[in-house]
Amino acid sequence: MTVQAMQPVPIRLSGIAKSFEHGVKGRIFAVKDVDLQVVPGELLTLLGPSGCGKTTTLRMIAGFEQPTQGSIHIGERDVTGLRANERNIGFVFQNYAIFPHLSVFENVGYGLRVQKQPEAEVQRAVQEVLELVGLAGYAQQQPHQLSGGEQQRIALARAIVFRPRILLFDEPLSNLDAKLRVQMRSEILQLQKRLNITTVYVTHDQEEAMAISDRIAVMDRGSIAQIASAEDLYDRPRSEFVARFIGRANLLQGTLRSAGAQPSVEVLGQAMAVPAAPPGAQVGDSVSVMVRPERVQLLRAGAAQGLAGKVVTRTFLGEKTEYHVEAAGQTLQVAQFGDARAERFSPGDAVQLCFPGGNIHLIGA
Amino acid sequence: MSAALRPSARPLLRDPFFAGIVFVLWVLLGIFVLYPLGCLFVRAFAGEAGFSIQPFLDVINNPNHRRAFLNSLLLALAVGVGGTVLGFVFAFTAVRAGLSRRWRGIIDTATLLPLISPPFTISVAILFSFGARGLITYDLLGIKGFAIYGFKSTALAEIITYFPIAYLTLRPILASIDSNIENAALSMGASRWRVFRTVTLPLAVPGVANAFLLLFACSLADFATPLILSGNDFPVLPTEAFLQITGQFDLRGGALLSILLLAPAAAVFLLQRYWLAGRSYVTVTGKASSRSEVDLLAPAARRLLFAVCAVVAVSVLYFYALLLYASLVMAFGANHTFTLKHYHVIFTEGIPAIRDTLIIAAIGMPLGGLYGVLVGYIVARKQFWGRQALELVSMINYALPGTIVGIAYLLAFNDKPLELTGTATIIVACYIFRYSPTGIRATIALLHQIDRSLEEASESLGARSGTTFRRITLPLILPAFFTGLGVVFIRSMTAISATIFLISISWTLVTVRILENMTELSLGPAAAFSVFVVVVVYVALWLIGRLLARFRAAEGGGRVESILGG
Repeated sequence: MTVQAMQPVPIRLSGIAKSFEHGVKGRIFAVKDVDLQVVPGELLTLLGPSGCGKTTTLRMIAGFEQPTQGSIHIGERDVTGLRANERNIGFVFQNYAIFPHLSVFENVGYGLRVQKQPEAEVQRAVQEVLELVGLAGYAQQQPHQLSGGEQQRIALARAIVFRPRILLFDEPLSNLDAKLRVQMRSEILQLQKRLNITTVYVTHDQEEAMAISDRIAVMDRGSIAQIASAEDLYDRPRSEFVARFIGRANLLQGTLRSAGAQPSVEVLGQAMAVPAAPPGAQVGDSVSVMVRPERVQLLRAGAAQGLAGKVVTRTFLGEKTEYHVEAAGQTLQVAQFGDARAERFSPGDAVQLCFPGGNIHLIGA
Repeated sequence: MSAALRPSARPLLRDPFFAGIVFVLWVLLGIFVLYPLGCLFVRAFAGEAGFSIQPFLDVINNPNHRRAFLNSLLLALAVGVGGTVLGFVFAFTAVRAGLSRRWRGIIDTATLLPLISPPFTISVAILFSFGARGLITYDLLGIKGFAIYGFKSTALAEIITYFPIAYLTLRPILASIDSNIENAALSMGASRWRVFRTVTLPLAVPGVANAFLLLFACSLADFATPLILSGNDFPVLPTEAFLQITGQFDLRGGALLSILLLAPAAAVFLLQRYWLAGRSYVTVTGKASSRSEVDLLAPAARRLLFAVCAVVAVSVLYFYALLLYASLVMAFGANHTFTLKHYHVIFTEGIPAIRDTLIIAAIGMPLGGLYGVLVGYIVARKQFWGRQALELVSMINYALPGTIVGIAYLLAFNDKPLELTGTATIIVACYIFRYSPTGIRATIALLHQIDRSLEEASESLGARSGTTFRRITLPLILPAFFTGLGVVFIRSMTAISATIFLISISWTLVTVRILENMTELSLGPAAAFSVFVVVVVYVALWLIGRLLARFRAAEGGGRVESILGG
């Protein structure tokens, strides 16, 4: 393998569905109506709670499972009916799936030997990729001699050594401890950019997804809820599910008061200006008002502006302090990041809640 | 690409290698399992006037046959109960009584020897001990003409022969009962006896039921022991069927009698498969809880358990010592001069039988091992139409008493189109399809421990299913392959009930030679042959154990006991 960039290919999923016949519940859809375009060279993450269909989708791209409907293209090629071994993919498994009876060298060289590459080429490519993942000199080790992080690198080396057209990751970091997880994810990202291979990455960890992805597809109950960059998902979620799943959110019921150039909303008995109305929403519609906890300002009672409330709990977490504040019959989460000059509130304190303009996002019903 | 795919049908069509293997397996199972059984039924029920159950009714109405049927059930019941109780006592003692190293060794030996012996071994030893000229009855007690033959001696011999199977079944179950559950009962104020009655025993019930069914089936199928010990007053079905065919050349009568044996055997098989399956309360979590043996066993109970085990174990060792002694004297009971002539006999006249047995074992072992691994792999890993049927059919010859299989083979392969009688092929085939299910089960058990992602990883790296099987799966299930080899070898040294019908002038077996020696009353060579077999099988078992231990170090492979259990 040469470490120069290859020409990356797109991945296209059209109308993909996967269903099972269940004895009692009838037909169950694990994945439903999934349309997805992965841009060449992009790292796209499928993110969602367990059972949302993200792993099934990935396994259908790999060819381990067959869609009940729809088609999958890798590059220009329709691979829907092809087996995994005919798709030219690199797959990194959650449990690494290192062959326990083969040495590190034999594990990494497996794909090249299956392709019947000349032995000299196998030697050269394996050495090179082992250097690339920082495990030069490990070739003759047995898998059980390796740590979890080393096994992860071997799995990665094995997946990229034969220059697959796409890379697929199934929760590759979930078995590592927190520190190693952070380190490995930046290594994976660097390697992916260096190799310039179109990559689909599955995780249930939103922080990991945000750190590593060009775009994230949030999945919910078998369908894609929203595909966007991490910033867009965080600031402009299209549904309450996405708002709640990415980060933490205060969701309040409101009514759209005006649309057009200067949209505003009435929430908790107050009118507030917002950056944009939800697409298609009419004046008078009820909408969800989302405010992230760290974007709420907390002021001492008696301030000129804001909504009156009362502090219920205070939790000091080092870098930030979290409050639960009761206002107009609802409990809101507020986070204050460490500024030594910031005012401290105690449970029972009367406060004013402020939503600085632009920090409110509306979600249509 | 069509929009709606049927996932169940696709893989088989997409994977010609795999489809070919399934096809070949079905052809083999058809020829060596279903076709012989079909022949057996056709022979039994088809007469000149077409199919009729009249011949079957005649067999049932024959009082002698009905007696043989009831005797078989009675014997199986007695052996099932007696062997299970004894096996439980041994297992409980081994797990809970804190035995010393030496006694552990004695118990291990006493439970291993009967499992690796050729048939007749215990029967011969009982004759040496309690026969008309037996060491105890004649020499010690001075009883003349003691009548040893009948129900009691047959049951005793079978209990001693088969209780180790119950022991091997129950020991891991008792060992894996979490002692914290028992401690919980103790902490609520229950006495030790009450804890045993209300907690330990109920938890072991599925295992006990399984052990009982295993022993019931073994006794039902046992042909060798009754042939020697049951005598004229206690006929049982396997020997009656054998005598019907070899004595009266009545193939149809033999077929009908063996079908009579089929009903209880099938009942046991189905009970095990569908009633007992999934009933075990004991789950192996791998989380070791500290054992508190001393608290759970009263000193008096420990002494009693220990005494029972000691008496039985010493008796078993005594029987084997007697056998060894008899193989080394001129004529047991008459002339106790030391001699090696019996061993000389088996290594001169006996050589053809030994050679034939080893050749057949050498052919059968790799084939049986491969067959077991293939069927186990396909059943555990692949989804295809008829998968469960394939597994069920592959178990049939294993579950049926050897007498049925032997007679069915005799009927099926006597004539064209598949004239195999008199060849080594028929004996090899009999062993493969009768004894490979142990390898199949070992493969399935091992595959359940191997994560499927290993095979998917190989596939994602471009390997076809044949390559994946050869380079990933096969190396990982090698322990099961060796288990399969071992079982075929051990059975080819010790089995007789099916193959007695299949030997010929060109091909004979050690076990059949032992039977011939017995019927010629040359007990010395019979004893020497038995000792020879025990030694050979023991060595083979030791080698396989070494081999499995190598794998176990790497990835937790099979245990050697899996070869011997039911």
